[in-house]
Amino acid sequence: MPECQTRYFAVMEYSDDGVIRLPRGLPGFEDEGEFVLIDQPSHRPLVFFQSLRTPHLCFLALPVLSIDRSYRLAVSADDLALLELNTVRQPGIGQEVMCLSFIAAGDDRALSANLLSPVVINLKTRVAVQAIQNGCHYSHRHPLLVEEPEMDEAEPVCS
Amino acid sequence: MLVVRRREGESLVIGEDIEVVILEAGPNRVKLGIMAPREVLVFRKELELTREQNRAAATADVLGLSGNLQLRHAAPETPHV
Repeated sequence: MPECQTRYFAVMEYSDDGVIRLPRGLPGFEDEGEFVLIDQPSHRPLVFFQSLRTPHLCFLALPVLSIDRSYRLAVSADDLALLELNTVRQPGIGQEVMCLSFIAAGDDRALSANLLSPVVINLKTRVAVQAIQNGCHYSHRHPLLVEEPEMDEAEPVCS
Repeated sequence: MLVVRRREGESLVIGEDIEVVILEAGPNRVKLGIMAPREVLVFRKELELTREQNRAAATADVLGLSGNLQLRHAAPETPHV
């Protein structure tokens, strides 16, 4: 089995069948064309989208349906063609494609998920594209809720 | 922000060598034609937002901050690749 150096889990083995290929790379990372998904039970539902080429490049992602259960794909015909999928209808999440949303932290450390442009992976071929959704209302910074640690004293209430 | 009303077939000129033509105006969307020098980058805003967000996703200590992440819905089983 080939091995890769990862950002969070030292050296890991991976199988060639599991390699996700992005013919266009990712916006901002156009030269990154090969990734593997690392799914660690202790971190679920988070998954790690690890670059094979750049060990320190690893995105944290969530399945879009874990963020928004009624999420609807609106992948452009161009992207569907790249994914080698039927271009006249949207693919089924979990049936034909896996759909992941990258998690980012803002300057205020607030976490958000990019629902505007999820990574759509053809489950059969492992070809993927970060698909900017067509004419949708999804945010590129959809806020994720983080539970605040309990405070010992109640904070003053602003009137 | 400069706001200008234009009809189909009309255009706007930006600077010396950029022209934006309104090709079609529908109820929900417009089709624009853009003539600009080759060195001027023209792309959809969503692409720029995605690029910025990817950079923020790649650099921040997302894992350190995600410990208390509460998901509104129980996550579906993560499919294996």
